[in-house]
Amino acid sequence: MKNKLHGFLTLLLAFVVQITFAQEKTITGTVIDEDGLPLPGVNIIVKGTMKGAQTDFDGNYNISAQSTDVLVFSYVGFKTQEIPVGDKTRIDATLGVDAAALEEVVVMGYVSKRRDDMTGSAVQLGSEELQQTPMASVDQALQGKVAGLTIQSSSGTPGAVQNIRIRGVSSLNAGTEPLYVIDGVPIINDNVGGATSGSSLSALASINSNDIESMTVLKDASATAAYGARGANGVIVITTKSGKEGKTTFNVSSYYGFTNNAVDGPEMLTGAQREELFYEGVLNTFGEDYDLTSIEDAKEFDTNLLQSSYGRSYQAWNAAGRPEGNWEENIKNEDAPIQEHVISATGGTEDHNFYASLGYFDQEATVIGAAFDRISGALNFSKQFNDKLEFTSSNNASHTFQDGILEGSAYFSSPHTAKYFMSPIDQPYNEDGSINIGTGLPNPLYIAENDIDQSKLTRILSNNSLNWQTPIENLTATSRFSVDYQVYNYKRYRNRVRGDGDATNGYGWVVNRNTATYVFQNSLNYLWNTGDHNFDFQVLQEYQKYRRNYISADGDQFVTDGLTNLASAGNPTLAYSEFTDWAVASYLGSASYNFDNRYVLDLTYRREGNSRFSSDNRWGDFWAVGAAWNLHREAFLANNDMVNTLKLRGSYGKTGNANIDINSYQVLFNYDADYAGTGASYPDTFGNEDLTWETSYTLDVGLEFGLIENRITGSLAYYTKETEDMLLNVPLSLTSGFDTQRRNIGRMENSGFEAELDLAIVRSDDFNLSIGGNVATVENEILELAGDANGVEIPVINPDAPSGTQRSETGSMVNEWYMPTWAGVDPETGVDTWYVNGVDGETTTNYNAAERAFQGSSALPTLTAGLNFHVDFKGFFLDASGYYAGGQSTYESWHLYLNQPNLYSAGIYNGYASLMDRWQQPGDQTRVTKMIYGGQPWQYNSKFLHEGDFFRLRNVTVGYDFSPAINDAIGLNSGRIFVRGTNLYTWVKDDNLQHDPEVEQLGFTSIFTPPLKSVVLGINLNI
Amino acid sequence: MKKTNKFIYAVLIAALTVVGACSTDDLNPSLEQSKEGSEALATVGDMEGLIKGAYNRMSSAAYYGRDYFVTNEVRTPNAFSNGNSGRFVTQAQFAYLPSGTFFWDEAYGVIAIANILIGADLTTLEGDQEYAKHIQGQAYAIRALAHFDLLKTFGQEHTGGTLGVPYMTEFKGEDNIPSRPTIEDNRSMIMSDFQTAFELMSEDYFDPSKEFMSKYTAPALESRAAVYFEMWPEAIAAAEEVINSGKYDIVDADNFVSSFAVDGAVNSLFEIALSGTDNQGSDSMEYIYRGESYGDIEAAPNVLNLYEDSDVREDVLGMDGEMIRNMAKYPDREANIPVIRYEEVILNYAEALYRSSTPDEAEALIQLNKIPEHRNATPYTQVNLDNILEERRKEFIFEGLYYWDLLRNGMDIEKIDPQQNITETIPYGDFRLAYPIPLIELDANSNMEQNPGY
Repeated sequence: MKNKLHGFLTLLLAFVVQITFAQEKTITGTVIDEDGLPLPGVNIIVKGTMKGAQTDFDGNYNISAQSTDVLVFSYVGFKTQEIPVGDKTRIDATLGVDAAALEEVVVMGYVSKRRDDMTGSAVQLGSEELQQTPMASVDQALQGKVAGLTIQSSSGTPGAVQNIRIRGVSSLNAGTEPLYVIDGVPIINDNVGGATSGSSLSALASINSNDIESMTVLKDASATAAYGARGANGVIVITTKSGKEGKTTFNVSSYYGFTNNAVDGPEMLTGAQREELFYEGVLNTFGEDYDLTSIEDAKEFDTNLLQSSYGRSYQAWNAAGRPEGNWEENIKNEDAPIQEHVISATGGTEDHNFYASLGYFDQEATVIGAAFDRISGALNFSKQFNDKLEFTSSNNASHTFQDGILEGSAYFSSPHTAKYFMSPIDQPYNEDGSINIGTGLPNPLYIAENDIDQSKLTRILSNNSLNWQTPIENLTATSRFSVDYQVYNYKRYRNRVRGDGDATNGYGWVVNRNTATYVFQNSLNYLWNTGDHNFDFQVLQEYQKYRRNYISADGDQFVTDGLTNLASAGNPTLAYSEFTDWAVASYLGSASYNFDNRYVLDLTYRREGNSRFSSDNRWGDFWAVGAAWNLHREAFLANNDMVNTLKLRGSYGKTGNANIDINSYQVLFNYDADYAGTGASYPDTFGNEDLTWETSYTLDVGLEFGLIENRITGSLAYYTKETEDMLLNVPLSLTSGFDTQRRNIGRMENSGFEAELDLAIVRSDDFNLSIGGNVATVENEILELAGDANGVEIPVINPDAPSGTQRSETGSMVNEWYMPTWAGVDPETGVDTWYVNGVDGETTTNYNAAERAFQGSSALPTLTAGLNFHVDFKGFFLDASGYYAGGQSTYESWHLYLNQPNLYSAGIYNGYASLMDRWQQPGDQTRVTKMIYGGQPWQYNSKFLHEGDFFRLRNVTVGYDFSPAINDAIGLNSGRIFVRGTNLYTWVKDDNLQHDPEVEQLGFTSIFTPPLKSVVLGINLNI
Repeated sequence: MKKTNKFIYAVLIAALTVVGACSTDDLNPSLEQSKEGSEALATVGDMEGLIKGAYNRMSSAAYYGRDYFVTNEVRTPNAFSNGNSGRFVTQAQFAYLPSGTFFWDEAYGVIAIANILIGADLTTLEGDQEYAKHIQGQAYAIRALAHFDLLKTFGQEHTGGTLGVPYMTEFKGEDNIPSRPTIEDNRSMIMSDFQTAFELMSEDYFDPSKEFMSKYTAPALESRAAVYFEMWPEAIAAAEEVINSGKYDIVDADNFVSSFAVDGAVNSLFEIALSGTDNQGSDSMEYIYRGESYGDIEAAPNVLNLYEDSDVREDVLGMDGEMIRNMAKYPDREANIPVIRYEEVILNYAEALYRSSTPDEAEALIQLNKIPEHRNATPYTQVNLDNILEERRKEFIFEGLYYWDLLRNGMDIEKIDPQQNITETIPYGDFRLAYPIPLIELDANSNMEQNPGY
């Protein structure tokens, strides 16, 4: 290797030396377009040097060059032309329009490609589209815009993680998140939140969407091939804004508005209704044994004999005059403000340019006690040292602050929980107006003022590259170094008086985590054109290293109120630190060929090694082949007015997934336990030396078209993806002392159709009207799983879903809903019945006797669609977009406590107002059972599994683009003012789904932070 | 031009260095919090770390940290769940489903560590061989105890069946999908392991903190098992072994209530270590019995009639508003949790003497009365099963033993108070007296058999 390189350099030097001996002269000429009109501002450079000139207003230029030189004429929108100087002193040039240059360029991470050269499936969104969604995290803008991409938000808390799935879920136990690539570098954008019981925080939320030029979603094997080893779940490529040559311009954009929950959620029982249910329960439960015949009897029985604490509470409440607690109103932060202000500047000269921005985003949550803000700055700079060497640096720094809350479960201290779980006969305030801390569950009004859950994330992303145009024509070398440095702090405090810290006189916990991810990249790119044959070769080498330092400490027994740092904790209870890392190394080779822009062939190969596998199984080989036929370039369509674009494309390839916990292959003993004040150890990981890559094979075929002056554009695609050697957590008999072992076993398949269509119905200077949409299907099936020693298949239970409600077996969907099937409420007795065989026929009132059955759906939509509408007239415009997700089922969380007429809803917590429809007497037809004094066990069943189909109007924007007259009058380049509404309308198919239908990926309704709706007023000015 | 070339050289050399660096070995992950299995057991010190790991697993909330005791207690007429935090209502109603695991996974996790230690070849380990044997002895006792708890909870003895639970004797052994042996098999393995434990442990390593098992913990636990299995001569022998050691004493009346707040009390044979820095937090015993946000477990009104006024054990009961509560046992989350106390050994002894095929009623009465005599309660005038069981109920209320006393004597779970979560008496033999085998076990192990009724 070293010897070869040595020879290579010597040759170059010889070449360089040779050219320095030639002679210099002055060349003049005129540049015109195909219509004979002079072209001002055309760049002329002497190829391979930094010498250059521009044509004047009449298209004339002069430049000094040698007879061995080549002049390069370039102008935006025109084909670049090269003319050797030779013995000429006057060189006139005629530049032809470059149709290709006017075409969209798709940024694919390592490379960018013209649409015509694409053989894979990719969707690109520009900055304007990305900014249509006033939300903390830029990925939220993708919702509904990309066929086959679904977003399930983990929470509506500002900055929370968005779970993105591209073309379904292709792995059972390894990660299913797509790979993020920012400016050519794979970036880790995991949840950085410090506590599983707190709000999640997406690392992506640290990036200001205004600094992003484009986002490209790569879907199939060909498009993701360059990232093959980690591309199995798709790739999201983010490109930040770079500087633009010319006079420095400033852009100011601001909006301010208000947010509320997008869906109100279920209405709750009033205290009076709840009391009515409670005594009815006493009557129903004890009536027979104690000869009670009326509610009055029940009251008397409870007061004198049962003496229940619930009954006593009602007596006290009645004595106090039956005041309603109205918790929902009290924990609400109505019309929570949201605002963002960004100022950016861009400009530059021939040899350098820059983009700089400063942004501020601030949002309050729709309940008390939570907020998010971010301050961010970007500086992207590019410097052309000479005509051969260019340095580019993109830098992004931000500080994100999230004042979070307890979420993820029914934490009693969470303000969201209060709406549902707080008894309506408990009062938020005392009679003197002070906060009542004597409530059954901790009063969130007190908690919001006295407890702390804060995340702070400082992130610096710096991406630096050097691009060298080697002396070999069309061979460029690029070296890149990128660092993503994150400092994360989490602070939790629980007050001494009431809530989670009351038993220990306060509780405090802090986390400090530093992570650094480095990427080194070196690549060579060679373009070779001969006749109609165009080749593009690339070789690339990449090394990525992640290091994480983590420290946490907690303590209790705080000395006083109001001091919340661990310095004031009398009893330190935890000191913990750890260091973890991982590394990935890869080599990439790709070749792209097109013949006359008509036939395109792509070959890509990537070899990648990952520290997650043992040294013998570390490396994986991934590849893709793609081909396209641009029919519109063929003679028979060349001048066809009807068909402007017509392209067939197909690809096949192998991609990988290694997204599992680090060190999984090793047999591990852990030492983080302790007993009796001394350290203890235990076997932690079963281990598997043979562990290696999970792989997917994807076939993708598609058709793209543009008809009638491209007024009708669209595409159709079909894909099928088979995942093999899945990185499965194979369940073990618990008698082994382990629950699972990670193994490469099992297969699954995803397939689906995708279609996109855009119609430009009216296209003119003053009036435009367009409508567009996309639709996608995804079908998933498990083809094979592991077996036990007897060869009997071991089904895989989703550990995140309670009670085995999501299960995978050969022939089922991945994590398909699995539970007894509800057969209605028996009209004679008022109790639930289920099908004995899990499907149909005989029913039983014994939950235990009902077979569990697959319910034919999972939490993931099988049909998604997006819709866009645009109209503008003389500068006034209206944009609207919406999306639909269907085929998924959604399970109602917490129904035992909130949506079953029992002691939980009527005695301890609170229930939905819909419980008033309970069964009361034989013959009643209702889905709500008889009220009882008591509580059932958790009986997960299809009664609470609802169809999840919904449509949501994502954005409606009405605005005005200033006319040139206005711009001139106030000295602007351009200006815009708008009002934007987000999530204003939601349609839900199933009336029984009372919560927001847009739920986290697990498919359970959420009682914490639902999605938000907002209305903002904004202005954009370019000066 | 030359400058540029130098620069390019530098870049290329740097690039080459990075390329060269990316070999397979550079992808070795750091391992800074864990050790590979091959390095985890090299010294007797490593054995000590592992046995502590086993104790630590025993202390988890699902097992001795809370659930094992509370689930048993709430299934008797002593207590009920008010559902304040939604906890233990299901257990109190006997309505548990196979979707849960209860402490099946924790107990087998404990057993796995015990088996690593039992399987260790001591001759290859650096360190004090005698101490290594003592640790192995603890491992045997722990293995027997965990299997015994599993057998009682998941076995079919009280539901008319014959099946026990898999008895694991090897870590990562050949048979990775074990089937269920009979109760008989389990019984002989349990008794044999307790005896091996006793033989291997040395008196020299007596642990005054009681947070680790000592030599006489094994026969104490063996006496519990022997009584449960109605193996009276074994129960007598085991109890006498403990009594004759002279290391333990019945706590006296004045110190009875406070003894629960004292770690390593005179009557303690083995207790789960908890501390201010290592406890179950809101999942602690204290918080389920008395916590403001939890506090699900209330005493049923019938327990108010258990004690005569002079009996110091009445002080365990107290009123929290209108609720009758356990106010003394598990006084705070930092207090150690007793697993077996000397008083139980005495009562095991009394019962075995009385129920042996050659009963010694006089001695049985003497032993039985040792307890009320130390509680300011009236001694019994005669020994009989009712008196023994009543004394056990009074002594061990809220400690989870009453449930097994009812079952091993073939008694029903009576509905006495309306507050109890069961709607009617559960007759002896009902399928719900055995817990269901967890579904995830059945899924992963095709040799596993579910209990009837589930």
